[in-house]
Amino acid sequence: MREVSFGQYYPSGSKVHALDARVKLLLTIAFIVMVFLVKSLYAYIAVAAFILLVTLVSRVPVLKVLKSIKAIIFIVIIMSLINLFANAEGKVLWSWWILTISEGGIITAINLALRLIFLVMGTSLLTYTTTPMELTDGMESLMYPLKLIKVPTHDIAIIMSIALRFIPILMEEVDKIMMAQKARGACFDRGGVLKRAKALLPVLIPLFVSAFRRADELALALDARCYNATPNRTKYKQAKLGWGDLVATLVTGVFITLVVAVNNNFWGLY
Amino acid sequence: MENSTANNVVIKIDNVSYDYRSSSDEFIARGVKNVSLSIGKGEFCVLLGRNGSGKSTLAKLLNGFIVPDSGTITVNGIDTSVDESIYEIRSKVGMVFQNPDNQMVASIIEDDLAFGPENLGIPRDEIEKRITWALETVGMSEHRKRSPNKLSGGQKQRVAIASVLSMLPEILILDESTAMLDPKGRAEVMETAMRLNKEKGMTVILITHYMDEAVGADKVFVLSEGELIGEGTPREIFSNVELVKRAYLELPVASKISLELKESGYDIPFALTDEELAEGICKLK
Repeated sequence: MREVSFGQYYPSGSKVHALDARVKLLLTIAFIVMVFLVKSLYAYIAVAAFILLVTLVSRVPVLKVLKSIKAIIFIVIIMSLINLFANAEGKVLWSWWILTISEGGIITAINLALRLIFLVMGTSLLTYTTTPMELTDGMESLMYPLKLIKVPTHDIAIIMSIALRFIPILMEEVDKIMMAQKARGACFDRGGVLKRAKALLPVLIPLFVSAFRRADELALALDARCYNATPNRTKYKQAKLGWGDLVATLVTGVFITLVVAVNNNFWGLY
Repeated sequence: MENSTANNVVIKIDNVSYDYRSSSDEFIARGVKNVSLSIGKGEFCVLLGRNGSGKSTLAKLLNGFIVPDSGTITVNGIDTSVDESIYEIRSKVGMVFQNPDNQMVASIIEDDLAFGPENLGIPRDEIEKRITWALETVGMSEHRKRSPNKLSGGQKQRVAIASVLSMLPEILILDESTAMLDPKGRAEVMETAMRLNKEKGMTVILITHYMDEAVGADKVFVLSEGELIGEGTPREIFSNVELVKRAYLELPVASKISLELKESGYDIPFALTDEELAEGICKLK
């Protein structure tokens, strides 16, 4: 079975796990914004240090956090390559036909790669330490203002929770279908891009059919368990803000300030 | 047993027919035809029938997912066709489906158990108690905080049962819940269902095409082509060779051997279980 590491909860009972999901969500958003603002390599070191700190405190294995990059490694490579050739600022280092690599290109490529990697690491730390239910409950709670204008926030939350729950199940199904097709002589890893894409069609169709069937059964199961029975739905897990949340916010705040300071060369380090 | 519970009927199906129709009212398939039966409180009933015999249709009718074309179904005296009481019926009739993966909503077991009671607006502390109780009942307490993805099929199905138990149903319907499991998983689920029936007095309706799962039942209903063709104790049903053949069912091995021995001229009583068969063989002269 394929190892799906992105988006899976890793229970370790740490302080980070105990934080309020809403706080974690907001801090993650702050983190994402921060990562997008970073330009200097020194600041990236600070970002990396922050991720390492959170990883250690959350007691999620470092390797697991690193593994989360695997899912996006192709996107990172492709995006970096495009940026490498697209940016022609600065000294030209190498040039052939229409391809040119310049200093500016290298810097933007590295920047983009690091940005994406830190982004995924940061967000996967959120999903490692927060159950999908907490996460969706947190989102629902943060979306409260929308509820006032009649947006069905609870339904949105349930949809997200179910989507997260079915990611590993559908991944397993893809593997099974691919194996079944391979057993009947299908070939997924030869030929050009177009041929490979075409070869995936017999995988996608059964996958969709089965997904619809699952959705159908799931709808019955939701109904059987009285979904929407009362507008006064209760919550088993009630998130409460604690001291830990304050500490986490402060620590993150200090780090963001630090990163911004380093990024703008506040202390004249470089 | 049947007599003592006869006046304590929890489910009454009265001359019910249902056909599957498309949205433009075209006939697609027959569901059930003129079915009448009643189930008493605390009974362990088995609905037997092969694919397409209408047994799952009957389950859906009991939970109010579909409403009979004609006839009435009452659960605890409440008509399933009345829209206002649908959630009351669904919380009283817990339903476990075939594929354990397709009936779990949450990625953490305790969250999945909480889903039903949350929908019903049960207070938090009470939900907590129910989760603890339900997981204990199905023997899955140590998995409470884990993801259902890593469990075996039998364990997943036990969690699915617990998720329904947390709504405190009075009737538990297992709709082919053992069909996708290996023998070990099937045994786990059967044992759980039996225990709920014997220890908690829960009314259990097991829908299956495995006859050996019906051996320990109080009452067996046999469906074929949407019609109820037989009703009785397992012994009455299983020894009715004609009926078993008509419903395309497969007898448990012990019964089959005892019947064939008898056919070959041995004086051996009809055996339901392996023990009975052994006893019968030992008594042979």
